[in-house]
Amino acid sequence: LLWKESWEMAKNPMAAGRGYSLHGPRIKLIEKAQNLFAETKEHVFESKAAEEHAKLLRIQHELEVSTKQPIFVDSSISDTIRTCIVLGNHRAAMKVKTEFKVSEKRWYWLKVFALATIRDWDALEKF
Amino acid sequence: MSQIPNLQNGPIDFTPIRDQSHKELISILKNIRGKKCLVLDPKLGGPLSLIVLTSVLKEHGAELHHLNEDPIESTCTKVVYLVQTQLHLMKLIASHIRSDTSKGLQREYFLYFVPRRAVACEKLLEEEKVHNLITIGEFPLYAIPVDEDILSFELDSSCKEFLTDGDTTSLWHIAKAIHKLEFAYGLIPNVRAKGKASVRVADMLNRMQDEEPVNSTDTDVPEINTVILIDREVDMITPMCCQLTYEGLLDEFLHINNGAVEIDGSIMDANEKDGKKKKVPLNSTDKLFRETRDLNFEVVVQVLRQKATSMKQDYTEMQSTNQTVSELKDFVKKLNSLPEMTRHINLAQHLSALTSKPSFSGRLDMEQTILEAESYDICFDHIEEMIHKQEPLVSVLRLLILLSVTNAGLPKRNFDYIRREILHSYGFEHIATLNNLEKAGLVKKQEGKSNWLTIKRALQLIVEDTDTTNPKDVSYVFSGYAPLSIRLIQHAIRSGWRPLEEILKLLPGTHTESKRSAFANANGPSSDILPGMDKPQDGRRSLVLVVFVGGVTFAEISALRFLSSQEGMAYDIIIGTTKIINGNTLTETFMGNMG
Repeated sequence: LLWKESWEMAKNPMAAGRGYSLHGPRIKLIEKAQNLFAETKEHVFESKAAEEHAKLLRIQHELEVSTKQPIFVDSSISDTIRTCIVLGNHRAAMKVKTEFKVSEKRWYWLKVFALATIRDWDALEKF
Repeated sequence: MSQIPNLQNGPIDFTPIRDQSHKELISILKNIRGKKCLVLDPKLGGPLSLIVLTSVLKEHGAELHHLNEDPIESTCTKVVYLVQTQLHLMKLIASHIRSDTSKGLQREYFLYFVPRRAVACEKLLEEEKVHNLITIGEFPLYAIPVDEDILSFELDSSCKEFLTDGDTTSLWHIAKAIHKLEFAYGLIPNVRAKGKASVRVADMLNRMQDEEPVNSTDTDVPEINTVILIDREVDMITPMCCQLTYEGLLDEFLHINNGAVEIDGSIMDANEKDGKKKKVPLNSTDKLFRETRDLNFEVVVQVLRQKATSMKQDYTEMQSTNQTVSELKDFVKKLNSLPEMTRHINLAQHLSALTSKPSFSGRLDMEQTILEAESYDICFDHIEEMIHKQEPLVSVLRLLILLSVTNAGLPKRNFDYIRREILHSYGFEHIATLNNLEKAGLVKKQEGKSNWLTIKRALQLIVEDTDTTNPKDVSYVFSGYAPLSIRLIQHAIRSGWRPLEEILKLLPGTHTESKRSAFANANGPSSDILPGMDKPQDGRRSLVLVVFVGGVTFAEISALRFLSSQEGMAYDIIIGTTKIINGNTLTETFMGNMG
């Protein structure tokens, strides 16, 4: 089991280290890791994380295509939300929020920071 | 001032150790005739600067380079690599050689492993088909005197290697280093060890003595009386707290590397605005630093102020009255210490600015609250909020480790929740970090009840009314918290660990106390208390070597110096460590690097 786990871990960073052009295979690798984690009971958490990671990469990829800015992939969920708000794309931000069940607490911190970065004091005042 | 410290004033003279390494390095260079290119492992550059001046290397015809991806641009036909046994470095070397051959360059290659060659590395060179082009040697550098009372074995991540990966290579290295010390200073009669790794080191040390004995009859009184080995794992709490001594704070904020800090030029000189980095050496050769390094920072400010005022007074006296020649001489002498004064006033000013921020006192409050272990929820919420604000991950992990260790882990619900929040806020690549920490038992699921409260009470770790100006106890280094590791050492020196058996069992790892064979017969079997009788006649106190397996912080070093300066203390303390660490550098070794 230990051997298997380390093997899986080795694959994950390998996948994460790949460049931008390899989105497709990267997501597949992570999903494979997810399935391997799911085979044993102890790794429920790891499996879930891998699932979310794959999902995040997909969404980030879509965002990059729609905004034509290669700034999303490999940033964290929080960073993605912040970037969306900074770009004024509140709908996308909301979507990421609900997709990953981001808690209200974290959501507010992110929003405050993001609005402060773009000095949108009016919006900050409003909520 | 030189970065290489003066070693002669310490409790034991480490000069022979440094001289030997110096000699070995020079003879390596001498054996290779003519001009050569010395290519250094970037990790070795710092430690080597404590042994030899670059000018000396140049005198011996060496041209210095750092090992990196770029091929070596040089006219030298001889290339000498000096590296640690790391596989990725072998790959770099192989790529250098291949790029040379493809350009038709003919060079001679020499490869010196520090401290010894490793099969895995040579195998890799064979696979890369460059092994037969290289002459391979060893540079047996095991311990480097960082200061007059500190030896570092320069093993950056030994704690993580042992706890997470189960890798014991570094333990062999430590045992070897101690064994080499014994060749220089005589067999150490008493060995005490606490923690899994330490006990292993003690075993290895005995085996080395069997295989390659140090002749104990040469020196009738060994210079070092006792070695106390202690695992970092036993006390993970201390390094996670913010150090409050002058040297400790300098390390926390500016990161002291091999006895020097590199800082923005503007801190030292307000007129300098080009943002150039400046290296400031910090060791006991600097008299003022020697005086202030171990004090609580609050006190340091007062001391500096006093000195400055008294100097000003001298100066006004100077102008007002006619002076005799000897008075003038005294005054000039005092002026000589002026550069030291300005240096430390500048540094202290910079630290004051940082420590007076509300975020700093907030952090100290939180550490205190966690140590008191009475309001778990407040601490947990605080860490959660830090994550939400995306504060630096290292600071988050430091507090999280502190919370987890004092509570024997986090309740499962909290554990999964906080891990998820970390992944969401800092990125999924940190799953490797979390995994490392869990394997090492630093951030884990709760198992059983925590015995932190018992330990805290029994060893009096929290001391109320700590007087930082006239400290009576080691707790001054953290303004109220006495480091667990230091308490254990205090007990080991004073009365042995036997009375403490119950408490020791609550801490991770086993412990052993043993007398080395050569002395066991001579002194009789009953020696729970260290023999204080065999003191050398010349009034020197006997020595205790404290070895931290997995690193030591400056605050702990200060605490040990404080202990040995106490009256009625029968021993001088010298320190051996795998590396001088702080909470950040230690935590960073656990942070998985991806890609």
